[in-house]
Amino acid sequence: MRRGVGLAAFDRQEQSNRSFAQLSSQLSQSQVDNLHAQLTQFRTALAHFASTHRDSIRKDPAFRHAFQQMCSSIGVDPLAGPRQGGWWAEMLGLGDWQYELSVQIVDVCVSTRDRNGGLIEMDELLRLVRKLRGVTSGQVTEDDIVRSIKTLQPLAVGYQVVALADGRKMVRSVVKELDEDQAVVLAIAQQEGGRIVEDILVTRKGWTRGRARAALDNMLLRDGLCWLDEQDEQCGKAYWVTSAIKWDV
Amino acid sequence: MRPGFLLPSIHSAPPFFTQQPHPGTNETATEHWATLILTYARHRKLFVLRVEDTEAADSEWQEVLRNERINRKLLATYLSAILESMVAKNSAVYDPPGQTRSVLLYWRLPEEWAEVLHTWAISTGQLNTILTFYEITDPPIPSPLSNMPANLLRKAIAVLAKTGRAQLITVADGEGVRLFQGTGK
Repeated sequence: MRRGVGLAAFDRQEQSNRSFAQLSSQLSQSQVDNLHAQLTQFRTALAHFASTHRDSIRKDPAFRHAFQQMCSSIGVDPLAGPRQGGWWAEMLGLGDWQYELSVQIVDVCVSTRDRNGGLIEMDELLRLVRKLRGVTSGQVTEDDIVRSIKTLQPLAVGYQVVALADGRKMVRSVVKELDEDQAVVLAIAQQEGGRIVEDILVTRKGWTRGRARAALDNMLLRDGLCWLDEQDEQCGKAYWVTSAIKWDV
Repeated sequence: MRPGFLLPSIHSAPPFFTQQPHPGTNETATEHWATLILTYARHRKLFVLRVEDTEAADSEWQEVLRNERINRKLLATYLSAILESMVAKNSAVYDPPGQTRSVLLYWRLPEEWAEVLHTWAISTGQLNTILTFYEITDPPIPSPLSNMPANLLRKAIAVLAKTGRAQLITVADGEGVRLFQGTGK
């Protein structure tokens, strides 16, 4: 481009700058419009999807899981409530469903707390929640429980899923830290149907007797996580991890 | 197992038969025991529980105080603690008073027994006549009051006497009572 000289050149440059700016804002405007249109389309499609599959999402655990995975991969939170601008919750009623489930989880955890000291095995929790819901309301999976417990986090009451060494999961409903030894004790007690004695820890885990006794006594006396049995046939004294015993409510 | 009474699942848990050192756990377990004892007493119409019942092989409490299947039995020391907690919660009283080895179980409170007695007297048309204790606790037709211990009956009568619905009378061979329609009820 030939660069003009003199005052007129300044004018011309200014004018071309102006036109470029106009053009660029036009371009970005059309991009924004385009994006908006796409979003609306996406929204409608999703809404359509959600409303047509609403029932299956609520009833079929596998479908629900897939749906939740899809949501998290595109960065949409299906649980965002109406307050956070989530039209999802209204669309699906999934938020309510999840909250309802967490209330039931709390119900089970609290009502069994006096027996298990606030620690319940995942399978047992599932069994009791299912029992509480009855048979008609569709199946609840472990995945649903884990999600619901996450929704309890803002309440800061300490609901947490604890994974044991052997892959089992337990749900803790009291604010209490489990140390490593206790986790081992819990895992073994699960295999033994609840019963645990010092000898098992000494022979299977190679612990010293003192360590085994300290771990068990902590659970018994400090945390109230197990019950003492002074009439054990083999060892005279056995500990029973109540969360590992199967109870009927 | 005696027909009609279903023992709770906790009765099959071995540690249930040991007194728990953790205060919270102990409270829970003791409460379970107290409930079980009262439910069983009501079911079999038992009024008295003694610490000795843990040892006596022919006790009518055998089925509850022992679980042969898992080879556990309630120890006397623990039962004694359970009784103490039941007395503290007014679901039992030491009887006779002044010792801690034997209790009278309140699966109905004396106030409730008073109503049972009054209703029974009305329905059998025995108001205003003198009844001996024997006639009440061993009537020809079994009643809810059959086999009721005399001291519990006495407490129930005392409750009725307060509202002017009964009068305790000394008769030739012991004690008797006259029941009235009473006011209000």
